[in-house]
Amino acid sequence: MASTLLRTTKVLSKYPAFTKLGASCISTSAVRNTDPQIKNDIALLKPEEVEHKKKLQNYITVEGTTDISTVTGIPEDFIKERRVRIYEPAKNCMQSGTSNIGHWELDFDTRERWENPLMGWCSSGDPLSNMKVQFATKDEAIDYCEKNGWQYYVQESKLDKKFKPKSYGVNFSWNKRTRVTTK
Amino acid sequence: MAKYFGIDRIFTFLKTIKETGGLKASLYKLYRMDSLRPGQLVGTDKYGNKYYENPHYFYGRNRWVEYAPYYGMDYDGSQVPAEWFGWLHYKTDLLPDKDPSRPKYKWMLDHTENLSGTPGQYMPYSTTLPKIEAWRPPAK
Amino acid sequence: MLRITFTKVLNGAKLSPKHIYVATRAQSGEVKKPEKVEVFIDDKPVYVEPGTTVLQAAAMIGVEIPRFCYHERLAVAGNCRMCLVEVEKSPKPVAACAMPVMKGWRIKTDSEMTRKAREGIMEFLLVNHPLDCPICDQGGECDLQDQSMAFGSDRSRFTDIEFSGKRAVEDKDIGPLIKTIMTRCIHCTRCIRFASEVAGVDDLGTTGRGNDMQVGTYVEKLFMSELSGNIIDLCPVGALTSKPYSFTARPWEIRKVDSIDVLDAVGSNIIVSTRTGEVMRIVPRVNEEINEEWLADKSRFAYDGLKRQRLVTPMIRDCNGELKPVDWEAALLTVAKVIKNAGSQVGAIAGGLADAEVLVAVKDLLNKLGSEALCTEHTFPLDGSGTDLRSSYLLNNKIAGVEEADLVLLIGTNPRLEAPLLNSRLRKGWIHNELQVALIGPKVDLRYDYEHLGDDAKVLKEIVSGRHQFSSKLKSAKKPLIIVGSELLERADGAAVLSAVQTLAANTPSQDKDWKVLNILHKVASQVAAFDIGYTPGVDKIREGNLKALLLIGADEGAIDKSDLPQDCFVIYQGHHGDQGASIADAILPGAAYTEKQATYVNTEGRAQETLVAVTAPGRAREDWKIIRALSEIIGAKLPYDNLNEIRCRLEEVAPHLTRYGSAEEANYFKQAEQLAKKIKIQLDECTPIDVKIKELQDYFMTDAITRASPTMAKCVQAVLKQKQSKY
Repeated sequence: MASTLLRTTKVLSKYPAFTKLGASCISTSAVRNTDPQIKNDIALLKPEEVEHKKKLQNYITVEGTTDISTVTGIPEDFIKERRVRIYEPAKNCMQSGTSNIGHWELDFDTRERWENPLMGWCSSGDPLSNMKVQFATKDEAIDYCEKNGWQYYVQESKLDKKFKPKSYGVNFSWNKRTRVTTK
Repeated sequence: MAKYFGIDRIFTFLKTIKETGGLKASLYKLYRMDSLRPGQLVGTDKYGNKYYENPHYFYGRNRWVEYAPYYGMDYDGSQVPAEWFGWLHYKTDLLPDKDPSRPKYKWMLDHTENLSGTPGQYMPYSTTLPKIEAWRPPAK
Repeated sequence: MLRITFTKVLNGAKLSPKHIYVATRAQSGEVKKPEKVEVFIDDKPVYVEPGTTVLQAAAMIGVEIPRFCYHERLAVAGNCRMCLVEVEKSPKPVAACAMPVMKGWRIKTDSEMTRKAREGIMEFLLVNHPLDCPICDQGGECDLQDQSMAFGSDRSRFTDIEFSGKRAVEDKDIGPLIKTIMTRCIHCTRCIRFASEVAGVDDLGTTGRGNDMQVGTYVEKLFMSELSGNIIDLCPVGALTSKPYSFTARPWEIRKVDSIDVLDAVGSNIIVSTRTGEVMRIVPRVNEEINEEWLADKSRFAYDGLKRQRLVTPMIRDCNGELKPVDWEAALLTVAKVIKNAGSQVGAIAGGLADAEVLVAVKDLLNKLGSEALCTEHTFPLDGSGTDLRSSYLLNNKIAGVEEADLVLLIGTNPRLEAPLLNSRLRKGWIHNELQVALIGPKVDLRYDYEHLGDDAKVLKEIVSGRHQFSSKLKSAKKPLIIVGSELLERADGAAVLSAVQTLAANTPSQDKDWKVLNILHKVASQVAAFDIGYTPGVDKIREGNLKALLLIGADEGAIDKSDLPQDCFVIYQGHHGDQGASIADAILPGAAYTEKQATYVNTEGRAQETLVAVTAPGRAREDWKIIRALSEIIGAKLPYDNLNEIRCRLEEVAPHLTRYGSAEEANYFKQAEQLAKKIKIQLDECTPIDVKIKELQDYFMTDAITRASPTMAKCVQAVLKQKQSKY
C-alpha cells in the first residue's frame, strides 16, 4: 500500500533570485540579445540532482504501510500486547431500529477489572477499554490498526439472510402449516 | 552569696537527683524524657501517669506529665486522658478532681490512646456485598 | 462517528454500506429474473420480487419504516398500524408490513400524510400506555420510546376528563423468567406469534376487544417453553421484561461483550452485558448460521450460576481429609510434586465446559510426561473410524441446513431440549418447508408433529435393511437428514449404532451433491474440540490405567468415582464450579468460566468460535491454560507458549480449523468412515430400547456445573413441576 505522507514545499520558491530572474526576463525584453540567460543553479546540477529536485515538487509517496505508533504516545505495551477485534456489530435484538448498524467497529481485549474496596464499584487500569472506533468499511479499520501498529483480527459476521418475501396471506392459507390459529 | 556564685544551682541539681531517686534513676529519666526537672507532684491519673508542676519555670514549661513506667519509651501524647488534658494544656488551672464543670457519669467510656500503627488500629473495610459466592467444600 | 455520518451522506442519505450491499445484490439477481417489479420509494427506484411487501422494499434501499408488530422472523400481523405509509393515488395510507408492492407504485415514507398517520397512531398508543419509563426496565432500549421521539407528536392531547385514570391491566404470572407489566402492552402480538410459530407453545393469546383487549395465557399458567426468554427481546415495549434482570442495570451503563454460549453444543452467539464486574444479563447476538436471533432459556438465564458455588482459591486436602484454601504457590508446588512422582501414570478427563486451549495444553503436558491417558467425560464409539474421521462426529449438514431438509429422521435424541435452537430450525422447516420428521426413541414432545417409529433398536435395523415402511420415504426424499443423538452412541453398542447409521446415510440418496445426510448432535460444548485435538472418548482408559494422578478439567458429570481409581490416586480438579468433581478432588485449581476467558469452543457443526473476556475471574481464579502452563514449568516440562497468540498457533498446528473462527470446516471421508464402520464386530443390542436422558422440560434446566449452581434454573424446575400438577 502506498500512502501519501506529506506535501513538500516547492523547493524553487526558496530561491527568490531564481524567480526574480524569470520576472525580469519579461520586463527587459528590449535588451534580450545582450546576455544569454544563465540558470546557474540548474546548469551546475547533475542530472540525478535535477531529477530529485523535480520529485520534491510533487507529493512524496512511501511504499508500504505507515506506522505512527512511535509518535502516538500510546505506551509500548499497549501497542504490542493488545489484541484488537474488528467486527461488524449485529442489530440489537431488543430493538428494531437499524440506524446504528451497518458499519465496522474495533475494540480492544478486556483487561483485568477489580472491585474498588470502598464502594464495591468496578475499577480498571485500562483507558482503551472505553475506546470503540467506528469505520464505514472493514478495510478502513484494518488500515487504522496497521497504522497504529496494533495486532488485530477480523471477526467475520454472519448477518446476511436469504431474502424471502413476507406475506400476510399465508396466515390464512387453508392447506399450509403457516395458518395462524391463535390471535 | 551562694546565689551569686551559682552554687545554689548545684544544690538544686543535687536536690533534683535526690528527689528523682538517685543517680541511676536520674540518668534513666534524662534518657527517657530528655529533661530532668524538679517539680511538685500534683496528681496521678488512673493509668499511672504523674502530673508535675513547678512555677519556677516559665509558662509553657511549668506543667508536665511523666508517663507511667510501663509505657517505657512508647509514650505519646494520646496517653494523657481527657480530664488531665485541660490542666496540662493550660485550658484550666483547676485539677480534674476540683473542676466542677467536669461531670463524671458511669456510662462514660475509658480513655483509649491512639492505636494507629498497632494491631488494634482501625482499618477501613469494604461494606459491599460479595458478588461471588464461593464454594465451600462439604465437611467430611 | 462523524466520519461514518459523512460517508453515509456521501453515499446518499440513509444509506449504510450494508444496505447498499443488500440492494446491489438484489439488483444483480434481477438480471436473471426479469419478472421483478419496479417501485419507487421516496422517488428512488427499486426492483423487487413480486410479493415483496412495501416495508421490505423500503428496507432494501435503506429506508426504515417504523413498526411495532412487524418482525422479520415472525408472521405478518399488521395490527399496530405504525408502518402506515402513503402510496400515490391511494386514498388511504397503506400498512407497509402487510401490503405487497404493485408495479410502478410510488411510496412516500416521509410525506405529510405518512407523518400525520404515524403521529396519530403514536398518540393512540401513548394514550393507553403508562409513561413510566423511569421505572421501566425497557427504558433505553424501547422501541416505543425511540419511535415516539422520532415520529410522535411533541405534545399530548390526553386529558383524563372523567378522572377515571389510564387503562390498567392486571399483571400475569407466566413463570420465574418473564416479568409482565401488562399495562405497558401495546398489543403488537409479537409474543403470541413467537409462542405459536417458533416455540410451538400455543399458550399466549388475546382476550377481549378494543380497550379491553388483553394479552395473556387465558388461565394463569406457566409459559412452558425452552425458548421463552426470547419474548423479552421481542417485546417492543416493557410489558415483558426479564425477571432475574429486573431493576439491576440500565442498557446505557452496561458493557457489552460479544461471546459464545457453551451450555449446549450449538454454540449460540451471545452478548454478555456486564456492569460493576458482574454479568448482568445475556442476550442473543444475531448469527444467521447458528441461532438467528434466538437464545435458549438455559443459555440466557443461567448466568447467575456463575456467581454461586465458585472456586475462588486453590485448595489442598489436608491430613484430616478436609479441603483447605492455600495460595497458588503452595497448590502448584504440591500438584507438581505429585505429577512429577506419578511420572507417566497420570491421566486427564475433560469435562463438557473445557475450552480448546486448555485441552491442547493438558494434552501437550501429559504427552511430554509420557502419558496418553487423555479422555473426555462423554464417551463415543471408538470402533471403526472412531473419532479419526471428523465426518462421523459432526453435525455435517450444519444447523442452518436443517431448514432446507424435507425429511428428518431423529434417532435417540430430543432436539427440543438438547439443542433448542436446532429444534426451532426444525420447526421452522416444518412450518414453512413442509418438513416431515420421524423419530426413533422415546416419545417426547418436540412441539411439532412427527412420525414416531418406536423406541426399539430393531426399528433402526429394519430401516437400514430397507424392510421398514419408512425406508421408502427416506429413499424418495429429496433432502433427507439423519440426526443422531450423541447420547445414543454412548451405549455399550454405540459403535454398532453408529455403523448402522453410517450405512443408512450412505444408502440414502439426496438430490443435492453437497447435501450431507449423516449428522451427530452433541450435548456438550467441548466434545468436538476434544475429538479434534485427539482426546480419547470415554473414561475406560482411566479406569484401567492404574493412575497415580488424575487431572479433572471441569469433569463434573460423575463419569468417574473415587472407587474407580487406585487408593493412592491423587485427584486434581481444575474448573470453576464446586460440584461433583471438586468434592472428590485432593487438590483444586480454580479456573475461569466461559465469560471470563478468551477461549475457543467448537460447536457440534465443527465451527470454531471464541468467547471473549467479559468479567475478570473471581478471587484467585485464572485462565485455565495459564494454570497448566505454570504447572508445566514447575514440573519441569515447560510448555512452549507464553501468550494467547502462541497457544493459538499451537492449536493451529494441531488442527488448523480450530482457529478459523466463525467458519465451519467441512468434513469428508464419509465413504471411508462407512467402510471402516462395516468392520466392527459389536452387534446392535436389540433388547435395550433407545432412550434419552432429557425427556421433559424439567430435566432441561440443570445439566451442568453452571446451571446446577443457578438459583434461577432451580426456580424454573420448580415452576415446571408445579405446572405439571396443575389441571391446565
